[in-house]
Amino acid sequence: MKKITTSFICFLVFLTINSCSKTEDLQDDPNRATEVSPELLLTNIEIQAFNNISLSAALASRYLTYTNGVNSNQYYNWQRAGYDDYDNLKQVSKMMEEAQRTESGVYQILGKFFNSYFIISLTEVFGDVPYSDAIQATENNYTPVYDTQKSIYLKVLNDLKDANNELATNEETILGDIIYNGDKLKWRKLINSYYLRVLMNLSIKEGNDELNIVARFNEVYTNPGKYPIFESNEDNAALNYYNIQDNRYPLQNNNDLQTAYYMEESFVERLQNFEDPRLFAFAEKKPNAADLPNTDFSAYGGLYGSGDLNDNTSKAVAGEASRVHPRYFTDPENESSLLISYAELEFILAEAVARNWISADIDIHYKNGISASMEFYNISNFNDYLNNPDIQLSPGNEIETILTQKHISMFLNTGWQIFYEQRRTGFPEFNTDGEGILNNAKIPKRWMYPADEAVNNGNNLTDAIQRQYPNGDNTNAEMWLLQ
Amino acid sequence: MKKRIILSILLLITAIGFSQNTISGTITDQNNIPLGGVNISIQNSVGGTVSDFDGNYSIQAKDDDSIIFSYIGFKTQTIALNGENTINIVMQEDSEQLNEVVVTALGIKKEKKALGYAVQEVDGESLEKAKEANFVNSLSGRVAGLTVKNSTDLFQNPEINLRGASPLLVIDGIPDRTTDIWKVNTDDIENVSVLKGATASALYGSAGRNGAIMITTKKGKKGKMSVSFNNSTMFQPSFIKVPDVQTTYGNGNQGVYAYVDGSGSGTEGGGWIWGPKLDQLDPSTPSGYVETTQYNSPIDPQTGELIPIPYISRGKNNIDDFFRTGLIQSNNISVDWGSEKASYRMSLSNVYQKGIVPNTDLKNTSFSVGGSINPSDNFKVNSTLTYNKQYTNNFPEVGYGPTNYLYNLILWTGVDVDVNDLKNYWREGQEGYQQRHFNVSYYNNPYFQAFEYLRGYNKDNVFGNINFEYNITPEFSLKGRSGANIYSLYRTYKEPKSYIGYGDKSRGNFTVEDSNYFDITSELGIKYENDLTEDISINGEFAYANYYRNSTYHSTATDGLNIPGFYNLDNNSGATLFGENDITKETIHSFYGFVDLEFYNAFYLTFTGRNDKVSSLPEGNNSFFYPSISGSVVLSSIFDLPSWASFAKLRGSWSRVSEGKIDKQSNNPYSHIQAYEKGTSWDGTPSAYFGSALLSPNLKPETSDTWEIGSYIRFFQNRLGLDVAYYQARDYNNLIYSPLSETSGYTSLLLNGDVFKRKGIEFTLDASPIKNENFQWNTQINLSQYRRYQEEIYGNKEQTEGFIRVGDRTDKIYANVYQTNENGELILENGFPVSDPYQRYIGYDEPDWTYGISNNISYKNFNLSFLFDGRINGLMYSTTNQKMWWGGTAPGTVNQFRDDANNGESTFIAPGVKVIGGSVEYDVNGNIVNDTREYAPNDVAVNYINYMQTTSNNQNKNYHYYKETFIKLREVTLTYTFGKAIIDKMPLSNLSLSFVGRNLWLSSDIPNVDPDSGKDNLQAPSTRSIGFNINAKF
Repeated sequence: MKKITTSFICFLVFLTINSCSKTEDLQDDPNRATEVSPELLLTNIEIQAFNNISLSAALASRYLTYTNGVNSNQYYNWQRAGYDDYDNLKQVSKMMEEAQRTESGVYQILGKFFNSYFIISLTEVFGDVPYSDAIQATENNYTPVYDTQKSIYLKVLNDLKDANNELATNEETILGDIIYNGDKLKWRKLINSYYLRVLMNLSIKEGNDELNIVARFNEVYTNPGKYPIFESNEDNAALNYYNIQDNRYPLQNNNDLQTAYYMEESFVERLQNFEDPRLFAFAEKKPNAADLPNTDFSAYGGLYGSGDLNDNTSKAVAGEASRVHPRYFTDPENESSLLISYAELEFILAEAVARNWISADIDIHYKNGISASMEFYNISNFNDYLNNPDIQLSPGNEIETILTQKHISMFLNTGWQIFYEQRRTGFPEFNTDGEGILNNAKIPKRWMYPADEAVNNGNNLTDAIQRQYPNGDNTNAEMWLLQ
Repeated sequence: MKKRIILSILLLITAIGFSQNTISGTITDQNNIPLGGVNISIQNSVGGTVSDFDGNYSIQAKDDDSIIFSYIGFKTQTIALNGENTINIVMQEDSEQLNEVVVTALGIKKEKKALGYAVQEVDGESLEKAKEANFVNSLSGRVAGLTVKNSTDLFQNPEINLRGASPLLVIDGIPDRTTDIWKVNTDDIENVSVLKGATASALYGSAGRNGAIMITTKKGKKGKMSVSFNNSTMFQPSFIKVPDVQTTYGNGNQGVYAYVDGSGSGTEGGGWIWGPKLDQLDPSTPSGYVETTQYNSPIDPQTGELIPIPYISRGKNNIDDFFRTGLIQSNNISVDWGSEKASYRMSLSNVYQKGIVPNTDLKNTSFSVGGSINPSDNFKVNSTLTYNKQYTNNFPEVGYGPTNYLYNLILWTGVDVDVNDLKNYWREGQEGYQQRHFNVSYYNNPYFQAFEYLRGYNKDNVFGNINFEYNITPEFSLKGRSGANIYSLYRTYKEPKSYIGYGDKSRGNFTVEDSNYFDITSELGIKYENDLTEDISINGEFAYANYYRNSTYHSTATDGLNIPGFYNLDNNSGATLFGENDITKETIHSFYGFVDLEFYNAFYLTFTGRNDKVSSLPEGNNSFFYPSISGSVVLSSIFDLPSWASFAKLRGSWSRVSEGKIDKQSNNPYSHIQAYEKGTSWDGTPSAYFGSALLSPNLKPETSDTWEIGSYIRFFQNRLGLDVAYYQARDYNNLIYSPLSETSGYTSLLLNGDVFKRKGIEFTLDASPIKNENFQWNTQINLSQYRRYQEEIYGNKEQTEGFIRVGDRTDKIYANVYQTNENGELILENGFPVSDPYQRYIGYDEPDWTYGISNNISYKNFNLSFLFDGRINGLMYSTTNQKMWWGGTAPGTVNQFRDDANNGESTFIAPGVKVIGGSVEYDVNGNIVNDTREYAPNDVAVNYINYMQTTSNNQNKNYHYYKETFIKLREVTLTYTFGKAIIDKMPLSNLSLSFVGRNLWLSSDIPNVDPDSGKDNLQAPSTRSIGFNINAKF
């Protein structure tokens, strides 16, 4: 008996001791990597940067209207935006860190471009934002100081130029590149084309000697060997969608897009007046004209962006408004999302000629832009359109005409860019005369800073607001860029 | 039939071998009231009996035997028979003993008077009659400080809060860190002991920091073999709360509806229920009613077009027509036997729950064995082992969205649709590809959902433990315990083609998930016990404990299906399958010990200490020690109290408990490691990203210091008892994700910071207002309050991101609201409210009081028990109510303005003001620094439908935060125990029959939903349960 007892106890003691596993042996996470190669980060950064289809932007830019309630983008009473792009800047900084570790300089060069892209996206929204001091939490800097918008633009202009020059001499391979599949010439074209966009963003600051916009613009435009720029839609900075989970067109299956979004009336009328065949690629016939042929311009209609919601919903219910073309909500691949397109570049060049920044044939650049846009929508027969007297440039109205075409070319692509272009130039006019308009019929110039920032970086935020906006952080205040 | 034969055989066996004299008599208390339930056993022998309701007993004994009478709360008496055949006994109350032995941490039984902390017990018997799907639901209202927020959905865990935090679940001394409350069968529960404070459970270490719910399962008892059978059948025939929707208007928008193709667009009204008035007469149509095309319109064979049919309220009974009577049926049979040397129990249980949604159910089967052997006087071993299987082919998905039944049934379906017509759920000619419904872009046909979208769940649990104690000397013994929790879980998700998710029309999908889990807790220690003198005794333990966990998870999903309805990964139509897996290992090594001191049966003192070394913190900071001290003084043993006070005790304790787990929710032991996450693959190119939280390098364990005082007093010969506990805890070094400015690159920094104070008070009142021969009434009232305050904010910030300042309660709710002027009037622009750019305070989340009132009334053979419980104040957000106002189903939307809007007229002028001049400026925290606004009454009429679609009537409904206050008749049980006269004629030792109701009646402030669950993300209707229970012992 005793023996059995003893051996039983021994067994239990053994069981207890044997189930040990040392704590120090479990200090590695088997599910995640602590180091990765930079191309894995590049792929994610590209998805974040290029994937920019936005219905909110389409409402604010008078392409679309919304009928399920009063929408703050459409009626211009929006308030705040977020700082999500700082997470993207962090991903870029991690990519550059991993590139340093693996001694692959090419990702550090691309990092300069993406840093520039994300910080411009941020400053366009708010005004002054942290940049030189940002993304330094790992160095215990948790409350970055706000940089002036001007200093951000200066840094970006220099970085983009460096990026082009460094890329020209770099001989490493770019992996993980879902945009250009490692084609460095195309990357340089993107960087330089984007550089020209940034300069055009600053058009109001034309006379600023420190920025020296005109000279910078000329330097690139006149030196295509050193500064190659886009030459066709082949060069577009485009993200293609695939019929694979998480890779599908973001509006596919969007119910609201099928039932509550309608084309905007002033936009539809413009396309009708110009007899613009892109209308057939953008929109569906209105229900009460369903029997007309697709190519009948009168079969399309829209709702007035600033119009009274009751009027708009009644019209929609009565079948007088067109939805977007069904491909937007049915086709998983549909069309690419654009960071910047060849068409946009040509319009930038045309505007630069109109502003006397460069000397070139304005009509060629302007028509190249239109043609590129037509081709993007696979429209081949547009010669009549190019010759349509209503769209021709005429002295004194070049910028308005160019911006009107730029607006048409950016329907549901290129993120919020067209809203910023309109903010900069006033063209095309976005209607605010309807009865539904809010914000005292003003188009907001910016967004308020995120609410959390007041808690987490309050002093620096207060400084930035006080030096920029005497009436406080509100959406109608004008940032440096627009003054 | 088979069952009956087995029972008869078992009975036969038990009858053999006992043929002696029959001793009988009656047992009463000092007041001459018969005492039922007194244990009667024979000294030095196996077996025994209990007295019946009338205090009568009979037992077989030999002439020279001695009989032992024992009953909790009374002094045990041993009577030598000396040939007598009739022994009548008057039991003497023992005010010191009372019924006060409770199970404490590590399964150690202690006298309640010795405890320096709060423990409350619930007897297994009170749970076995009125069955719930799991035992935790049955604990609602029974324990002060324990809040159980019951879900109305099938197979959903209730939220369990003990003093505001999630307690540890312990089964027979072995913690179950997976907290699977479904694996413990209610019939196997001997007793549930709730250890409320950190002191009570400090010996469990970090995991026990928030108290513990300890389950002791039934073991074999000494005595003759007995067989118990328990059947409980509960029906859910009706609802106590279901959304009340308007039946005046149907599907559509702006008063227009005509079905085209189910896409939801155009005249289909975008999925809104803001359609035309139903049941309107129109003499020009064949039916005499207004007609329009509908999804079930016949098609004109000539034109191929839909033929309009009457637009009438045919779906008024959709709720009753779709949901069926639910059922919870549980059966248990157990066999029990024991002698001085060994005891044994085996139990087989099955719980079948039929959901109110067609084609949903849950089966839960357990087989458990447990027993003990004492091979010699100084060696004892006991163990239990349970196999449990939880199994269903389909249970409902919960949460707001097209995957929710109520969403598809009434919230977003006008009563022009009759659910009976939806039983045929495939569109003709598109079987397998396209469901048939009035709107196939936004919603799912509920029958399609019930019969085609299937969520399978199959979990096999094995858990058990083995304990031994070996007395080396009379003072020293060696103790050991080892217990494991093991499960494998297989889940499947079958998603048919055309199934609607948010913004997603399924191409058909199949997902398989596999989890395997193993944990083992082993302990080995020395126990010391010594009565130093008659008045001083000491005992203590010192032990080493080890916890190890190893779990794996794996899931694989298709990206579309080729063949509809064929659910196999090989049927993937996408380029690749999508999968993920993880492996988790964790260990904790601990030493712990305690010392109990007892002086003069009046002073008690306990010290505990524990050191944990965890793998879930970086090496160097992962080993930590924490102590506790608790004591109690029995005043009634020291002083002569007035005669009305029978017992009085004061207790107090202080404890420190540290915890080294960062991510308690996900139970991830690797959260202290900074690493990359897997990103989206783009056309086959993989990606990675870095998370948004930065970790500070020197993470330490977080710590709670808790003190507690309490008293327990009994009055009037123990007829009235009051237990009061007050506690305060200080949580510091908390492992928090302290928010950072996003501009720093990270949204948060994981660090040790912030200090919180928790405090609360609990009252438990026991009373026996009436106690006489035939009639007894016992009542217990539980009442508790809990609060948590922000004491420090890391980095000395002015406020948290949730706007909580130092000194504030942490459950303050800030919400997005509309602007109001200084008189509280709503500010409107163009007739619509203007949003406030800053969130504003609107109330507190936590209730002020949580209470439960249970009553037990016995009259002769009848026993009636009923339980009320509820909560007072606190706010909860209601998705259901918000969506009803937004979508057009709230009865309040039936008004003239709506009719006007249907006619295209804007007539609704919201009460409030408009700004006619001036402006307002805010500082960064949203305080107004300059306000020159001038106002005039709002006079802009808007379309009522547009207004509701924009505002959801937020400003009149407190932004849909509603008071949580409610009282519920939780349970009523009426039991008839058959008397001896009837029992004797049957081969039974006990038979009782109960009629049972649960969740019978509710009164609450919040409309349309049951506030019991404490949250509403479109919950299932709350059902009433009614049934019966049969309990037989052989």
